[in-house]
Amino acid sequence: MFKKILIANRGEIAVRILRACRELGIQTVAVYSDADRAALHVRLADEAYHIGPSASRESYLRIDKLMDVAKKSGCDALHPGYGFLAENPALPRACVDTGITFIGPSAEAMEAMGSKTAGKQLARRAEVPTVPGTSEPIENPEEAQALAQNMGYPILLKAIAGGGGKGMRIVPHDAGFASAWRDAASEAMNAFGDPRVFIEKYLVGPRHIEIQIFADAHGRCVSLGERECSVQRRHQKVVEEAPSSVITPELRRKMGEAAVRLSRAGGYTNAGTVEFLVDADLNFYFLEVNTRLQVEHPVTEQVTGLDLVKLQIAIAAGHRLPFAWETITPRGHAMEVRLYAEDPDNNFFPSPGKIISRHTPTGPGIRLDEGVYEGWTVPLDYDPLLGKLIAWGNSREETIARLRRALNEYTIMGIRTNVSLFRRILTEPEFLRGEIHTKWLDQLLARPRPPAVPPRPGTEEAALIAAALWHSTNTNHGGPGSTDPQSAPSRWKMEGRRQHMEHLP
Amino acid sequence: MKLEIELGDPDGKKKRVVEFERKGDTCQVAIDGKPMNADAVQVSPNAVSVTLDGQSFEIHLTRSIDGKMKLQCGPHEFSAEVMDPRAWRGRKHGALEVEGRQEIVAPMPGKVVRILVTAGDAVEAGQGLLVVEAMKMQNEIRSPKNGKVERILAKEGQAVNAGEVLAWVE
Repeated sequence: MFKKILIANRGEIAVRILRACRELGIQTVAVYSDADRAALHVRLADEAYHIGPSASRESYLRIDKLMDVAKKSGCDALHPGYGFLAENPALPRACVDTGITFIGPSAEAMEAMGSKTAGKQLARRAEVPTVPGTSEPIENPEEAQALAQNMGYPILLKAIAGGGGKGMRIVPHDAGFASAWRDAASEAMNAFGDPRVFIEKYLVGPRHIEIQIFADAHGRCVSLGERECSVQRRHQKVVEEAPSSVITPELRRKMGEAAVRLSRAGGYTNAGTVEFLVDADLNFYFLEVNTRLQVEHPVTEQVTGLDLVKLQIAIAAGHRLPFAWETITPRGHAMEVRLYAEDPDNNFFPSPGKIISRHTPTGPGIRLDEGVYEGWTVPLDYDPLLGKLIAWGNSREETIARLRRALNEYTIMGIRTNVSLFRRILTEPEFLRGEIHTKWLDQLLARPRPPAVPPRPGTEEAALIAAALWHSTNTNHGGPGSTDPQSAPSRWKMEGRRQHMEHLP
Repeated sequence: MKLEIELGDPDGKKKRVVEFERKGDTCQVAIDGKPMNADAVQVSPNAVSVTLDGQSFEIHLTRSIDGKMKLQCGPHEFSAEVMDPRAWRGRKHGALEVEGRQEIVAPMPGKVVRILVTAGDAVEAGQGLLVVEAMKMQNEIRSPKNGKVERILAKEGQAVNAGEVLAWVE
């Protein structure tokens, strides 16, 4: 087993990986940019090294700096997390050159499966059904537009290197093509350093269902079942659950077999996710492979009882998968919501800033994977994900009730969050019936908001009393509203005067 | 202690007078002169627990940049301002604004990556004016009204702070 692992990431996922290492008795090395000196992953790690300015292109995306840290600190393995360099084949290559183990697939498997076009070609060879579209990136916008006209609108533009909805645009008709192309390419360039984009036919109203696979280096590859991630806002998943309410054991087996076939064809090892679109008739189409750990992996952990990060580490260390597919049956139900620092009342604009106070939920069936703490300033340089709130229970109903209960306990002051969005989703009748698709949330948000539930009687009076008490306690300590600033001279001023005295001749 | 507090919620603002006195283990509270069967304790630096006729409430509080208090009680949010009788009144922020001119401000800190219009252009409500990139997402800032772009104050590539004026639409 490894002695020391470099965690080439930040935020909640760096903390998640760090915790797995701790449990395995492995030393952890964190890296951080200027903005992240006081971040939670730095505070919790055994060792932490500065790797550059806040801009991720000058810090978390710098392979050379990561390799320097790995050598300097004597790491024998590197975990990339998700995002940043996690799907960049240059990172596993650099690890090989440096002589450390990359916790993930080989660079070759990443290239064969990770890029959306290569993944599609591989899927066709492995006889996994795919959505119609181009399999090559298109360099020339005019050529692309002609192809789009042939295919028929609506079409989807996607960054080759993409993920998380960045560098992705739906084009509903020909008139919007040029500006969508420009935006997608420029966003892709900024986020991934690769402006190449390809085109796909856009299915109307499908579900997004993905299969978690694991493959060891000894030829065993298994499926750990599905996650349903149909609740998305602008292609960004916001609620994920397992099992899906539409998947039958038969379909689960078929999709699992397709995913395993694909991963074998690509010579894949370690954790991966094969994403599918599932239409109303339960036909499934291959979408893409994510050659890394997913944000929503806890959902699978809660229904399988497995620790996916520890499994990743064990497989990278050459261990065999300790189980056969037949023994893995999802138990109960799990659901995750992604807590973002963004303002749902202002078009979900990111809302970075200082977390002044925070109360987090606990109790039965609740897990909170976070990368923040009270007093931490959420930087504006990175994805505004604060953490993930996960609930599990015996049934979907119990899980939703627990999640609702936990969201009511969750309070964060100082920044805006999307918690109110989940309060709304988790009471929508369509969601409760499981009638969701990838456009469902965008359509819901376009509808007028239901009238707010009025506060129970006495809330206003309670707020007034709290305001009066809090105001009086906070002004008695010489705060900004202090009634008598002369009574206690500033200690700064006194210290300044004392220092001047010492400099007198 | 007697305070005049202006409490704001999405429906508007109301001024109420709160009297609050703690004597040993008991609280004496009155709102607008009416005695209340209430008790309040500060349970953390930013939270107050209030009981009112046996109903339990937990209120989280912070101070916003403009000096007002922000309050949160479960999903409900309020603002509260303690009226200081010595404060200079009558300052009305909007009075100086020219009727009809809209200031386009940056809704959050970020970088102006593209300017889509030039001064003098006629624009429609909802038309994109600029693209601001923040946290790796590009966000189009749209015109709030039909009119004419009077001035562009931002430059491409410029870093902007929340609230910074980017353009004027007349």
